[in-house]
Amino acid sequence: MSTMSQKNTEEKRNAREQMLAERAAQEAKAKRLRKLGVIGTVLAVLVVAVVVGILVMNNRTTPYTASQAPAGTIGANNLAIPVGATNAPSTLTVYEDPRCSACGYYEKTFHTTVNQLLSQGKVQVHYHVVSFIDSHDQGSGSKNAANALGCAQNVGKFHPYHDVLYANQPVESDDAWANRATLISLAKQVPGLDTPAFESCVNDNHFGPWVTAVETDFDKSGYTSTPTILLNGTSAYPSYNGTDISPAELIAAVDAANKGKPLGTLTPAQSAALAG
Amino acid sequence: MSAHQAVDRQTDTAAHPPAWRSDRVLDWVGTAVRAALVVVWAWAGLAKISDPEAAAQAVRVYRLLPESLVKPVGYGLPFLELAIALLLLVGLGTRITAFLSAVLLMVYMGGIASVWARGIAINCGCFGGGGAVAASQTQYWQDLLRDTGFLLLSAWLLWRPASKLSLDRWLAAD
Repeated sequence: MSTMSQKNTEEKRNAREQMLAERAAQEAKAKRLRKLGVIGTVLAVLVVAVVVGILVMNNRTTPYTASQAPAGTIGANNLAIPVGATNAPSTLTVYEDPRCSACGYYEKTFHTTVNQLLSQGKVQVHYHVVSFIDSHDQGSGSKNAANALGCAQNVGKFHPYHDVLYANQPVESDDAWANRATLISLAKQVPGLDTPAFESCVNDNHFGPWVTAVETDFDKSGYTSTPTILLNGTSAYPSYNGTDISPAELIAAVDAANKGKPLGTLTPAQSAALAG
Repeated sequence: MSAHQAVDRQTDTAAHPPAWRSDRVLDWVGTAVRAALVVVWAWAGLAKISDPEAAAQAVRVYRLLPESLVKPVGYGLPFLELAIALLLLVGLGTRITAFLSAVLLMVYMGGIASVWARGIAINCGCFGGGGAVAASQTQYWQDLLRDTGFLLLSAWLLWRPASKLSLDRWLAAD
């Protein structure tokens, strides 16, 4: 009897241990499953976030077609603003940001010379109005000013307005042109520019998609700073073919490049569109 | 007498298991680390989503990716960062999220070291912005040092993902 009871107790203990072990195994399995579920959820959240993100960002980019550019623009997708004689023997390509102080310095030093070269039919200038300072220094002045320059180009008054803006450029850290009224009041210095149509063009950011397209084109160009000045495709600023360039040397370089070629002839409209 | 005291102290400690007490503290440390990384990743992500073109350009200037990948990566990364912030906020899958956080930081640090080594002058674009800057304006070692700090935070959670106020704890999956 006593052995019987001992055996019973032992069996009970074994059964209990087995049950406990099974329960532990089940719990471990359930926890493993929970962990796998969590990992799956995490990966799903990440994938969904990235896919949705790419779609959202894509949706928020402004689609651009060349027909949205200001009148008279040229080049691939109408991203450049031409000034001067179309048949001028040399081309000066200029990438400038309205807020960039180095561009302000370049304009201060060279604009008289460039305007002279333009009126003589020696060069045509292709302006690319870029606008990356806004994302560097925060603000919206570059984009506002680039749009306003597009508005001026649309009515054939880009160049004089361009010179007015650079002559009145705020220091780079001062985002004065975030206020579009400032750009409109500067337009009063260009005879005939400040019209209701121009004001609404400036205030409605009418050429915004074009401004973004010009900047993206510059981003992809590989040029990393402004001003970037090219004379017939060769970098001409701050040095040309290894020597620092001054206004006199720019004239000499243009004359050398133009040697033996006829000067360009400006149409009356092209003449009228020149600054100063 | 002094030996007796030592024994007493041991007994005393045994009465309040130190493991229990330090686990609790370490769990709260985990929560604090999660909170810090949430701020970092949410800030990094949010700063990049306002301007898609700038986000793409911030990637482009590293000159590591072909143009066809610049936009998908530039557009996707901010949302990956926000997703990491969200997962850390709720404390779901803390260990794997910490692993991804650490991997992403190491990719960023590799990118920064790479542009530094190649003599390219850019803003890292870590918290928005980005793009070329003057050579004197680069902050590569500050960027790397800061990212190392974030990497250490991620490493903590990788080593010890358990924390208070987490879904992992609530689901008993930590």
